[in-house]
Amino acid sequence: MKYGDKIIYMEGIVVELHDGAVSIDFKGRLGFLKVPMRMIINDNPLKVGQEVGINMSFVEVVNEEVNEEYVSNIEKRNQKKEAK
Amino acid sequence: MAITVETAQEHKNDIAVVCCRTEAGTILEASNLEDPAIFPDLEDSGLLQVPDNCLKIGEVLGAKLVKTIDSLTPLTPDLLEGIQTIEADEKKAEEKVVEEVKPVAATQPAPVVQTTGGVVKIHIGEGKNINLEIPVGLAGGVAANNQPAAVPEANAPIAKSDEANGEVVKPEEAKEMRRLVKKYFKIDKVEFGPETKLDGTTLYIRENVCEDAVKISKLVTAIKVDIITPDNYDKYSETIMDVQPIATKEPDSKLGQGITRVIDGVVVVVTGTDEAGVQIGEFGSSEGVLERNIMWGRPGAPDKGEIFIKTEVVIKEKTNMERPGPLAAHKATDYITQEIREALKNADESLVTEEEELVQYRRPGKKKVVIVKEIMGQGAMHDNLILPVEPVGIVGAKANVDLGNLPVILSPLEVLDGGIHALTCIGPASKENSRHYWREPLVTEVMNDEELDLVGVMFVGSPQANSEKFYVSERLGMLVEAMDLDGAFITTEGFGNNHIDFASHHEQIGMREVTVVGMSFCAQQGALVVGNKYMKHMIDHNKSAQGIENEILSNNTLCKEDAVRALAMLKAAMAGEEVKQPERKFNPNVKENNVDMIEQQTGREIELMPNEQILPKSKKRMEIYEPENA
Repeated sequence: MKYGDKIIYMEGIVVELHDGAVSIDFKGRLGFLKVPMRMIINDNPLKVGQEVGINMSFVEVVNEEVNEEYVSNIEKRNQKKEAK
Repeated sequence: MAITVETAQEHKNDIAVVCCRTEAGTILEASNLEDPAIFPDLEDSGLLQVPDNCLKIGEVLGAKLVKTIDSLTPLTPDLLEGIQTIEADEKKAEEKVVEEVKPVAATQPAPVVQTTGGVVKIHIGEGKNINLEIPVGLAGGVAANNQPAAVPEANAPIAKSDEANGEVVKPEEAKEMRRLVKKYFKIDKVEFGPETKLDGTTLYIRENVCEDAVKISKLVTAIKVDIITPDNYDKYSETIMDVQPIATKEPDSKLGQGITRVIDGVVVVVTGTDEAGVQIGEFGSSEGVLERNIMWGRPGAPDKGEIFIKTEVVIKEKTNMERPGPLAAHKATDYITQEIREALKNADESLVTEEEELVQYRRPGKKKVVIVKEIMGQGAMHDNLILPVEPVGIVGAKANVDLGNLPVILSPLEVLDGGIHALTCIGPASKENSRHYWREPLVTEVMNDEELDLVGVMFVGSPQANSEKFYVSERLGMLVEAMDLDGAFITTEGFGNNHIDFASHHEQIGMREVTVVGMSFCAQQGALVVGNKYMKHMIDHNKSAQGIENEILSNNTLCKEDAVRALAMLKAAMAGEEVKQPERKFNPNVKENNVDMIEQQTGREIELMPNEQILPKSKKRMEIYEPENA
């Protein structure tokens, strides 16, 4: 990666809590993140509305070419959605 | 950051650098110095350059600074008055190293070790004249560490002689605890038919079994069964949630003992999505072509050539992240498996093609060890069903989340008889499927090791919040204290906040003076987030070429080669060998070196498992993870 070492401190808010997942809105309308429970560190049980922090960087394209296999997976999923 | 007096003492032979601006005239104390652990990082980033004449911490403590210096200045003789000498200590340390490397050749009165006819004879001079005869079996302290430490195994019996206090050590007899017989029914063809039954080597599955399986839970809206034969390995599949053996107990046999009937050559593969087509437990996709996404032959994965009974369960929309969702998918699949189990119970005894007998012994007088297996307990699919009635079944089992994630002890045979039904479904390369426990290599190796007394296998869940993690970990510590152990293995699957409990378990066990060896996938991506001084002995499960979670099922899970290394390391550590510091960055050669050393010491050949490089390359791996120019 070309810019991989540009680490930026970001803050967000816990907006959704599931048994297995946490959803986070980044402050400043900078995006949304959904991660498995085991990828978040909390001293006490999580609550919606809590503020969280993460050191992260920009998302970079590592390969210019489209991966047909992923495209096919996405299409399969979209077809299922339409069929519903 | 300043260091404490204890840290200064531990690092007295490391270079001395001031942590903050320090005025002339200051008498240097530990609190003036920077922590040597961070020097490599500082050097890498150019903040620190260490001159050749830099003094050591032991030399500068108590010396007077003659010049005011800025933070992170290395201390050199021209800056100080009253430099201490640590020469004597150094010499001693050097001698000690020599002694560790070649104890037999040392010049001082050293014990003489002779090996004749399977017996190690030790003669200790120095006025005591004690002669000991110890079976070679006790000399098992093989020097094998995460980092190589070249210590010959002769050290182990010497340590033993001190304990024995001059008396002849007589090994007590091993005590048989229980036996388990696995009877294999070879199946080479699976077909749909009017009823579920075994006919010769063909397994028939009732055509309309799905109509009943779907009724098992309100959350299940549809279920489909596919029979995947080796020529269909190139077919697309939803994310594999679990791989399960098909086995059943014979009447009057409880799980973990007696007789188990097993179907050989066929496994159950659980997959599923919700109604919107979202994979169960989805965080990014890992669905795709089967043969590109499965690391064949891993304990938790299918073996190449096996037939899959693959279920594709559809559950209600938006239940894929809630606890009942993934469980419902497993329940629906288990309905079908249960029908096969019933057929297996009724199958004719003459169809048995192979029998395997597993015996669990306790070995009084040998080093007492426990295997701690940390399992996921954060909720939803991060859950495990403990001790069902049928191997890897559902009925009768309790979820570890419901048990408060507290430690539960299973006998090794209960583990190997399907006592754990795993619901874990994310992190394909590092998760431990149900089949993993059924073929657990560490449990098998330790149970069969005649030099160790395996007391049991402790399963402990990993809850979400730190407060719960420490509650669970402290109970684990108390339990270990009550068990009077010599050694413990701690394994964990996957990576993430479960490494916080993993570290805490090391502390809880280590502070009770029990030797600990930890095992986890770490490498590049799963590097530990926390650590403590008890985490000295570590085995990395990584097999992937790049040290990452590469979405290949079971690629980075515990294999026999890891079990062998962990065993050798625990034995060495229990015998008092020092383990070298880890290198700063993940280096796969450390493992190779250790494996070589174990092979040399034991004369046993260790077969290393292949990794993803043998699979047909999927486009995503070729392009994203392993670009040509990387």
